[in-house]
Amino acid sequence: MTEVLFPQLSDEDPNGEGVLATWFVEDGATVAGGELIAEVMVGKVTSEVHAPAGGAIHLAVHEDDVVRQRTVIATIS
Amino acid sequence: MTTTETPATTAPAPTASGRRLTTAKAMVEGIAQEMERDPSVFYLGEDVGAYGGIFSSTTGLLERFGPDRVMDTPISESAFLGLATGAAVEGMRPIAELMFVDFFGVCMDQLYNHMAKIHYESGGNVRVPMVVTTAVGGGYSDGAQHSQCLWGTFAHLPGMKVVVPSTPYDAKGLITAAIRDDNPVVYMFHKGVMGLPWMAKNPRATGPVPEEPYEVPIGKAAVVREGRDATVVTVSLSVHHALDVADELAADGIDLEVVDLRSLKPLDRETVLVSVAKTGRLLVVDEDYLSYGLSGEIAATVAETDPGLLRSPVRRVAVPDVPIPYAHPLEYAVLPTRDRIREAVHQLVRA
Repeated sequence: MTEVLFPQLSDEDPNGEGVLATWFVEDGATVAGGELIAEVMVGKVTSEVHAPAGGAIHLAVHEDDVVRQRTVIATIS
Repeated sequence: MTTTETPATTAPAPTASGRRLTTAKAMVEGIAQEMERDPSVFYLGEDVGAYGGIFSSTTGLLERFGPDRVMDTPISESAFLGLATGAAVEGMRPIAELMFVDFFGVCMDQLYNHMAKIHYESGGNVRVPMVVTTAVGGGYSDGAQHSQCLWGTFAHLPGMKVVVPSTPYDAKGLITAAIRDDNPVVYMFHKGVMGLPWMAKNPRATGPVPEEPYEVPIGKAAVVREGRDATVVTVSLSVHHALDVADELAADGIDLEVVDLRSLKPLDRETVLVSVAKTGRLLVVDEDYLSYGLSGEIAATVAETDPGLLRSPVRRVAVPDVPIPYAHPLEYAVLPTRDRIREAVHQLVRA
């Protein structure tokens, strides 16, 4: 099982919170390694999240949820 | 003129199970694929380089294609739109971004007296294959000078094609078609359909987008929801609102047909007429100003062809003839909101 982390976008505030802005995949979907799966935001800075591995994805947070950087947002198995 | 061969244009059908993108990412993918295919395509404008476009219309293009093909310009719209027109005349295929359509006032001579007229005045001997991309629309308290749509103004003036996508699929297909078109095309993207994380976001701003290049034909509307009771003709973000209202009203037994015009020039009058002939009722929803614009043009199209198609008078929901207010409650009082659309539909089907 591979964990997908909310990326650290702010070096000044590494424990700061961000928002899971968009899920491009649905819970349970099969994803390929490198596939675009989400867009996240800290402040007005956005970043894409790509699947670190292929497999079935389980989403751990909802769209628009506030999430601390580097916490698990999904698992792929 | 560029001699690059244009590939086949058959558009793959969007599939519900396919890869999904936001409208902004779909637009960028379309631009990147055309830049990859055709070395004469380049992009210029304010903050289109390192910033990636203030509404994410060019994210990643500078890193991929370098500063010779993705150019940040000084804040001088007249200069860089004139530059683009000249480059197009000389055989390049420039895409010039006017950051907000509201800024057209400082460069309109270049656009409507030069870009839009050279091909006519040369008897078709000189082509101007350029695209003007521009952000339109309100709803996020950006004030009277950063919130307008103004597509009616561009569609009114001869010589430019005008396209206005509402979905990720159409955003990619229309930018591809615009770049390949040998005429000047104005591509107007509403900030509210881009799927940007920092703006109010409709789920309809994310959707399936085929990975391969494809064109959505310019001048062809889409019936995005079929219905029997009334036709809603609209464009851009208002398509999302109209579909939301149609879903709600379906529960009340009102079955709306929604037509997304997608292109304002050329205008697909046929699709409008066929739909109105079926439903007998017409509501036009337009985020541009009410008077002398798109909504009047659609109403006139029906009236000129056959007013007998209508079982009740045409209704229009548009921005009343006032500048867009900054204050949120006032701004939402003038925008074509779901509440205003719903109310107009009720009046229409009761009439």
